[in-house]
This record gives sequence, C-alpha cells and structure tokens, in this order.
Amino acid sequence: MDKQTGFMKALKCRECGREYPLAATHVCEFDFGPLEVAYDYDRIKASMTRSAIQSRSKNMWRYRELLPVAGEPTVGCEVGFTPLIKADRLAKRLGIRELWIKNDAVNYPTLSFKDRVVSVALSRAKELGFTTVACASTGNLANSVAANAASAGLKAYVFIPSDLELGKVLNSLVYGANVVGIKGHYDEVNRLCAEIAGKYNWAFVNVNMRPYYAEGSKSMGFEIIEQLGWKIPQHTIVPMASGSLLTKIHKSYQEMTKLGLVSDAEYSVHGAQPAGCSPISVAQKAGLDFFKPVKPNTIAKSLAIGTPADGFYALKVMKETGGAADDVTDDEIRDGIKLLAECEGIFTETAGGVTVGVAKKLIASGKIPANDSAVLCITGNGLKTLDALVGHVGHTREIRPSLREFEALIEAETKSPTAA
Amino acid sequence: MATKTKPNGKSEKNQPQSTRLWLMFPPKLITRPIVWELGQKFPLVTNVRQASVTDEIGLVSLELSGSRGDIKAAIKWMEKLGIKVEPVEINVIES
Repeated sequence: MDKQTGFMKALKCRECGREYPLAATHVCEFDFGPLEVAYDYDRIKASMTRSAIQSRSKNMWRYRELLPVAGEPTVGCEVGFTPLIKADRLAKRLGIRELWIKNDAVNYPTLSFKDRVVSVALSRAKELGFTTVACASTGNLANSVAANAASAGLKAYVFIPSDLELGKVLNSLVYGANVVGIKGHYDEVNRLCAEIAGKYNWAFVNVNMRPYYAEGSKSMGFEIIEQLGWKIPQHTIVPMASGSLLTKIHKSYQEMTKLGLVSDAEYSVHGAQPAGCSPISVAQKAGLDFFKPVKPNTIAKSLAIGTPADGFYALKVMKETGGAADDVTDDEIRDGIKLLAECEGIFTETAGGVTVGVAKKLIASGKIPANDSAVLCITGNGLKTLDALVGHVGHTREIRPSLREFEALIEAETKSPTAA
Repeated sequence: MATKTKPNGKSEKNQPQSTRLWLMFPPKLITRPIVWELGQKFPLVTNVRQASVTDEIGLVSLELSGSRGDIKAAIKWMEKLGIKVEPVEINVIES
C-alpha cells in the first residue's frame, strides 16, 4: 500500500472525468462538477478478500481498502457494523415476504449514520495535516463532528442557524466545540459558510472534504452485503436529503460486485422523502431527470434540503436500478416511527419514519413486489426528535398508589381495549 | 455599516474575488438574457461553465469575478428577479 495515497488513485470529476491530486478540494475547476475518489481496484482485489475482511474487527474500517484514507484510520475507529435485524413482525404488517432493518440508530458514538462519514472525513483531514475541522449543521452532523473531533483532539467549529433549539445546541457544546450561531435566512447562512470554507484553511467536512466524507456512506452498503451472507438485497429503501446516501449505497454494491466479493445480481435502490420536502421523489414520479428546488416544511428536519446536491445522481441511480421514490406526510412519518417501534422495538428519528412510510407505500403499490426481500436503512435515533411525537403517542394513565385503582384500570381496559 | 480596512488601505468590500454559483431559472425567466443584463448592470466578469436549459428549468453554473460588494449586489438582484442562487458548495448546511 502506498503510504501517501493508500488504495486511492486521484480525485475525479463526476461530469468530465478530469483528475486532480488527493487534496482537500471538491469541485472541478473546469465545469464545477463534484469530485469523487477514484481507487486502484486491481490492487484492492489482491488485498480485500472475504476471509481478510472477516478476520478484522467488527467496525466500518474492515472495508478500509474502499474507504479514502491513505494509512490506518485515526478517528472513529469503532464506528459502524451496526445490527442488521430480520424484521418479521414489520414484514407481516407491511405485507412483504422478507424484511431487514439496517439499524444505524445505534451507531457509535452519536447514534446516527453521520458517524460513518465524519470518521472518514476527520481521519483524512488529519492525514492532510489539518488541526481544525468544521461543519455547518442543524443536527446529527454537528453532534458527530463535535464528538469525533473531541476524541481525536482536533479543534472544531460548528456553524448553526441562530434560532436552533437549545437541545440541539447543547448536543454540540457539551463536547467543547466552538458553536457559532448565524443570524439570517437559510440561503444567507449557506453562502456565508461556503465563503468561510473558502477563506480559512480548515477541513470543512462537507465542503472541501466532501469527496472523502461522502465515501463513508458506502460502509453501510458493505455491511448490509456481508450481514446478509454476502448477498446484495433485492430492494434497498434509503432516505434522501441531498441524495448522497442513495448514490453511495449503489456504489457500494457495484464495488463489491466488481471485486468479486459478491455475485452479480439484479437489485433496486428506492428513495424516500417527506412530502414537505420532496424535490427528488416528485421528479422521479414524474419521470424527470432533473428536480425543481423547494422550500422545506416538514417534521423530518434531517431530510429538509430543498436543493439536493446529489438529486440528479440519485434520480439516475433509481432509473438505472429500476428503483422508485415516494413521499409521506407528517402524520404518515409519525405512523412509520410508531410502527417500527411497536413491531421491532426500534425507536428511530423522523427520517426513519419516512423510510418506513415510503416502504409501506411502495409495497402496497406493487413497486416492491410482496414476494421479494427488502432492506430498510434506518439512519438516526428517535431520542433526537422527541418533539415530533409530543401529543401523538398516547398518554400515561395516572392512579393513586392503590391496588384497587389499578385493578379498576385493568378491568376498564379489558372491557374496552381501544380506550388505552 | 463601516467597511473593514486592510493594512494596505484597500477595504475588504473592494477586494477583487471570484465566486462560483449555481443559478436556477424558473420557466418565466428562461428566455431572458440574464447573464448579459448582469454584465451591463454590474462591473463584473461573467463566465458560464456549464448550462442546461429545458422548457421547465434553466440551470447555469456561473463564475462571477469582481469586488465583493458588486458580487453581493448582483446576487441580490438575481434573487429579486426570482432566480435561485446557490454557491457551488450547495448544501453546506447539513442536518
């Protein structure tokens, strides 16, 4: 393995194919297309066998040849290898033969799939000599950057809109990150952060480190394949914000096939969005290969990106793999959260409710045939979006400390079970 | 608002710089020569790097070079017309 580049070859423009050195850069100078990491698959093939992978520790770095760091990872070494659960009870409720849940709601250390991308971005940032890392975020990403930077001894700047809820702010402050609240509209905050990223020599995880950062998502797909017994699932349902995760799950399946780690199989990747922010799913349903930007208005805040950077590529992947997209209302999102919790004992955040709700629709409409097998990607933990459920999950029944009152309560419930 | 003055005497607002943007035109503006109008209205160099125009949407990646103040004013002008203006690094804010 090359000490400077590992198994990476170059950064490559996704539009024109021009190649760039493996630095902290993310846009093609020629056509402003996004840059992506290109690998030396011949060398990877020689090093990455099923038995080699299985002999390694159970975390996302067991697929390290296909993750963009030159040496050994130094940040987030225990991230990933989250459970893949066979969800028989939920399968029955949704009307499908076989269903699996890839549960990143219990990812380490900050309970969301963002730990995967952040550990890659920060490990690479250290290799490139950065000592300060940064991100602009309203939730999961901020938590993950703050936590992983703290554990790696990196200085962290987290930019947030100034009106963000206190709970979310505390989740980043507790790790000692420098949290900067910006007063202004979303667009203004976005532009200021782009300017800051251009001016300061910091590793901005989803700006100049984006080519490395985004690759971390592939580990979710690698794990699904291995945990299914080295098989690509027939259907994978992925929540879409920027659309990046969906494209990277597809890339992970393609890479494993190319390396001969899994046999070539037909599969479909489907996308899920909230109805209050559904530019990609609306375009997919209309058969368009471009989307129209929208103003988000949804309880699924972690999916509220009105101008999805990878929307075009996500549409392309769905078209190529025969996948479909759909969207669900706020009420359907809450129903999805409750259904997953009641059937499988997994408490997901609103984005997970979107995934479950859309899976239900796609199965009911036959776009995912009832006789097939599917994997749902659950990307975050329900404890992070408690507000969305207030007033929607029933209420406690209070009694005095008296056995008689308790028995009366049970009797009333037995007579009228729906009253509970 | 006071402008920050650098040691060489030039204010930051007048420092030349380049900004890379994605513009999204709604259907009613697709046929209007916005880039030309922008060049007439503001002392900025416009450089189109990529474009895709259909009946429903126009997407243009544009580089603007000039003073920071003029770039900001040009962005404001385009937004007022109904064009969606994003830095090339769209989605800087993630959840």
